[in-house]
Amino acid sequence: MRLGTVIGRVTLSKSLPALRGGRWLLVSPFTRDHFQQGARPPKGLSGDPTLVVYDNLGGNAGDTIGFIEGREAAIPFDEPTPVDAINAALVDEVTYSPLK
Amino acid sequence: MLLARVEGNLTSTCKHPSLIGWRLLVCQPIDDAGRPSAAPVIAIDPHGAALRQRVIVSTDGRAARVAVKDPKSPVRNIIIGIVDEKSES
Repeated sequence: MRLGTVIGRVTLSKSLPALRGGRWLLVSPFTRDHFQQGARPPKGLSGDPTLVVYDNLGGNAGDTIGFIEGREAAIPFDEPTPVDAINAALVDEVTYSPLK
Repeated sequence: MLLARVEGNLTSTCKHPSLIGWRLLVCQPIDDAGRPSAAPVIAIDPHGAALRQRVIVSTDGRAARVAVKDPKSPVRNIIIGIVDEKSES
């Protein structure tokens, strides 16, 4: 799982039947230099590429989420589904103290 | 598997049901010299690792699903051990 901040949403007019009902979030992942400390995400975007994350928890712009990438993202679905990243946690607070 | 250092933790009220009750730690992957080698990852922690401790993080989803006892869980990263010492040859 990685952490990132939701910077927007994606809507689809047409999609595979297996994906109906899901939401899609635009997420900017945190890097070591750009990581949340406390309850609020850091300002601005990190240098890492933004990605689209499937969401069934109800994340919104400004939230910090924990998302899981790879094969595991498709495991919760009942049928084979082409999902590559899924929102697994809406994060309340992060305690982060990197070793300098 | 990743060699990592624990650099924090997080709290989350709304999460996948399989993650309820698990500690979630911020793990910084490190190289031989202890320098950060990638972006921090979040792992579930069945062992009780402390801040700054070095740990081994498994990225095998199947092992993590067995640990959380939910075959439909998306969980992937799990701390499988705490490092006592590391020697190089």
